[in-house]
Amino acid sequence: MMPQDGSSAVSLADIEVEHRRRLRRGRMVTAVQFLAVSLVLAGSVQLSGAADNTIDGGWGERVASFIDRLLPHLRAEALFADRATSGSLASWFHDLPRWLEAMRVTIAMAFVGTVVGGLIAFVLAFFAASNLNTNTALRQLVRRGFDAARTIPDAILALIFASAFSIGAVAGVLTLIVATTGSLGKLFSEALENAQMQEVDAVRATGGNWLQEMRFGIVPQMLPQLLSYWLLRMEINLSVAAALGVVGAGGIGVELQRAISFTEFDTYLAILLLIVGCIFVLDTISERLRHHLIGGAAH
Amino acid sequence: MTIAIPLRPSGDNALMVQAMSLVPEAIHLPLWQRLRGWLMAGLFMAVFLVACRELDLSLAVLSDGAGKLGQFLAAMWPPSDGGQPLRLLYVVFQTLAMAVIGTSMATVLAVPVGMLAARNLVSNRIIHFAIRRFLDLFRGVPVLVWALIMVAAFGLGPVPGILAIILTDIPRLGKLFAEAMENVDERQMASLRVTGAGGLAVLRFGTLPQMLPVWLSQCLYFLEQNFRAAAIVGVVGGGGIGFELQERIRIFAFDEVAFITLLYIVAVGVLDVASDALRARLT
Repeated sequence: MMPQDGSSAVSLADIEVEHRRRLRRGRMVTAVQFLAVSLVLAGSVQLSGAADNTIDGGWGERVASFIDRLLPHLRAEALFADRATSGSLASWFHDLPRWLEAMRVTIAMAFVGTVVGGLIAFVLAFFAASNLNTNTALRQLVRRGFDAARTIPDAILALIFASAFSIGAVAGVLTLIVATTGSLGKLFSEALENAQMQEVDAVRATGGNWLQEMRFGIVPQMLPQLLSYWLLRMEINLSVAAALGVVGAGGIGVELQRAISFTEFDTYLAILLLIVGCIFVLDTISERLRHHLIGGAAH
Repeated sequence: MTIAIPLRPSGDNALMVQAMSLVPEAIHLPLWQRLRGWLMAGLFMAVFLVACRELDLSLAVLSDGAGKLGQFLAAMWPPSDGGQPLRLLYVVFQTLAMAVIGTSMATVLAVPVGMLAARNLVSNRIIHFAIRRFLDLFRGVPVLVWALIMVAAFGLGPVPGILAIILTDIPRLGKLFAEAMENVDERQMASLRVTGAGGLAVLRFGTLPQMLPVWLSQCLYFLEQNFRAAAIVGVVGGGGIGFELQERIRIFAFDEVAFITLLYIVAVGVLDVASDALRARLT
């Protein structure tokens, strides 16, 4: 492109041409990308059958009536009146004691599910970490198991467990155990693969067996990180547990299901706010704990 | 040759004696620390047992259900396509399509939300704080909770499922976008302002080029997540593969459940690999 004689007379025009060429090519690429994305989107709309879905009365009216039914009709003058008065906060949260009871079951579900699932994941993770387990076949088996446990939708698992163990909290706990084993197993084994191996070598040098190498070489250095993952999962499991009740796994989700079966959308919103509030409080506590743990590891 | 390690420092092991005098807590934990450890463990066990009681978790219930679960698992083999493999394949693609629409609409809608929640774009601290807290609160709501009410309000089918995915994603994406916007390098925008560019031009040539890679890679990550969410919304009537699965679980057609689940696991694997490859090209 540059003129050979070293004069700068033509270069400006050349640059202009080159610039135009690049601009054109850039626009072509953008156009092709845009076309591809539009095709994917149009295909998706077609495939999902979303376009066939028509609503009588039009979407605007439907959404408006939905929002009207969702929001409680609170009256300012009766806000703090008792449950019987319509328009009061107490009448909006009319079943609060029972919801709190159900929330307690949900929290217990999340706790037991995370503890048991975390323990299973902790044991299995040693067999899924390539630096600790040199048996490739066993390692792949455990890893694929984790993958499957993570991929199967939790609501499907809950349905299957609910039809085997009857509807209730037991089905929810079992679902949480499977899902937690999958997700924590992956995280734990990846964390273990980054462990300092010198400490294992040191234990081995004193004549320790595999179990002692893990107990004194790996566990002390990894425990704070694993515990922090575990607490994070506890937070996630709390919201999962709240949702699973919807498909028959006990806890606060059952109350959501009940509100829907009476089409009381404002009650639904009240329970949703209660769930969200509980999750927020417990998350804050667990976040403190996690920072404490990670801070402790830094010393 | 193995060396016996004495558990307690005794007179004949000079090294241990030396260690004991230098760092006694490395050989023997102080009593109060050991007590605290045991106390914490005991407390934890107590909480765990109380929680198990709360859930009526007993061995009788577990062994009773385990028998039934074993029957279900046995019925899963061999997996069967129920004579309509093409239809099931179509439903898998329908689920993916729901995820694609949900993700794209959520990413578009989350941009203004993210802008409102970004500290460097909205300087009013009260608005910023209020929006951030609102997003934080609703970030934890699972897709199933939104799906249930959307199906009740707008009927069965993929549309309420897609709406549930959008509602779940907006607070999550909004927070991510707000953080990405706060991390934008201000100097690029400043140099544009120096050339006399207006507000929109600064956004287009200063902010957008920095945001776009983050935004696209988050889109892909959420697409993977939403493929899983799209399978869940069907369980309460939101269309897609979840709907097919829950129908078959209710009639105990576990061979077909196994087939669909395997098909779905393969599809998730393919999508994850494809989106990983795309993401690697983006960054």
